[in-house]
Amino acid sequence: MEPKLPISVVSPVDLGRLIRELQAIDNTLSQQDLRQDEVKVPKTSKLLDELVELNKADLSHPTHRQALQEFLTDLRAHTPVVHISFSADPSPLFVGKVMTWLRQEVHPTVLMTIGLQPSIGAGCLVRTTNKYFDFTLRANFEKHHDLLMAKLREVNATPTPTLIPGVPEGVAA
Amino acid sequence: MTIWWLYFILALLGAAGIAFVWLIVKLKNGAGGGKAKRNPQDSLEDAANQDVEHIFNEDFREELRNRGRLHFEKIIGENAMFLQQDLRLTTSQLNEYMKTEIANKLQEEFKKYEESIMDAKQLAIESIQKTNAAIDEQRKQMGIQVQQEIVAEKKQLVKRFEDNMADIINHYVMAAIGDQIDLNDQLEYILADLSANKQAIMEDITNGA
Repeated sequence: MEPKLPISVVSPVDLGRLIRELQAIDNTLSQQDLRQDEVKVPKTSKLLDELVELNKADLSHPTHRQALQEFLTDLRAHTPVVHISFSADPSPLFVGKVMTWLRQEVHPTVLMTIGLQPSIGAGCLVRTTNKYFDFTLRANFEKHHDLLMAKLREVNATPTPTLIPGVPEGVAA
Repeated sequence: MTIWWLYFILALLGAAGIAFVWLIVKLKNGAGGGKAKRNPQDSLEDAANQDVEHIFNEDFREELRNRGRLHFEKIIGENAMFLQQDLRLTTSQLNEYMKTEIANKLQEEFKKYEESIMDAKQLAIESIQKTNAAIDEQRKQMGIQVQQEIVAEKKQLVKRFEDNMADIINHYVMAAIGDQIDLNDQLEYILADLSANKQAIMEDITNGA
């Protein structure tokens, strides 16, 4: 059965953190096994808990730990990474929703790095391996340049100046 | 004409003087010449001459001389008076002539001067008119050029505005309501854009590396 990656694992940094944590746990449990002590799984992070729960693994078993390590190492080496920039720091809920969509629609193990560009205003910038997608409001305005010009001429054709539709009166003043 | 009259009067006076001298000389010669011709045949003549001399003695001659002197003085005085009158007349005529000539000359000069002034005035007027026409033309051309530059500038401004309109509106919208836009509100819009470009993203992810 193919291992799965939880939604909370978003970036390669999270993946690296999981790998290090898993290695530490594996070392601890191996030493306990060598000392023939009672195997007691140390307290794990929330990310690792979600990973273990999602894959129905038992960290006390070396084979499960080994499989998870191999899976994560393989992901770090080969899984695609998408970089998305926003105008503000997104909330975890927002990141989760975007990540869910990416995992469902694009790739089941895709990772995402988040950038911050306040000049974007609204929307986002998506950068994949070789491509760059501009989903900002400015790009949308440029795409609808003719519509904007038509509206502008329509406004100019009217005898009295009117407020821009959609903009509050106080702001326009 | 007056000059010729003056010459004529002077010639007349000269001729009268010469005639008077000739008369005196003749009288003297007549008195002394009879003594030289003393021949017997002329005894009667001598007697006559003696009578004549007796008649025309020194007193009579002196009387004649006085009369002649007086007459000559009278003639001289009359001629001087005539000459003076003529001179006055000539002077007055000359004055009139000079006045007329000077007036004519002055009028001619004034006329020429006036003509030259009129010509200069005309030239100045033509020059001013040409200058005005050139200035008008230049002003017109400058106005056209300024108008063209204004239109070009306006077009350039409009073009720049149209080219950068997306940035301008984006900047305006962000300045106006940027702080009111939440990322959670944009989620639907972002997911819609991602869905619209899903195929390209997937192709790049699967084939890009």
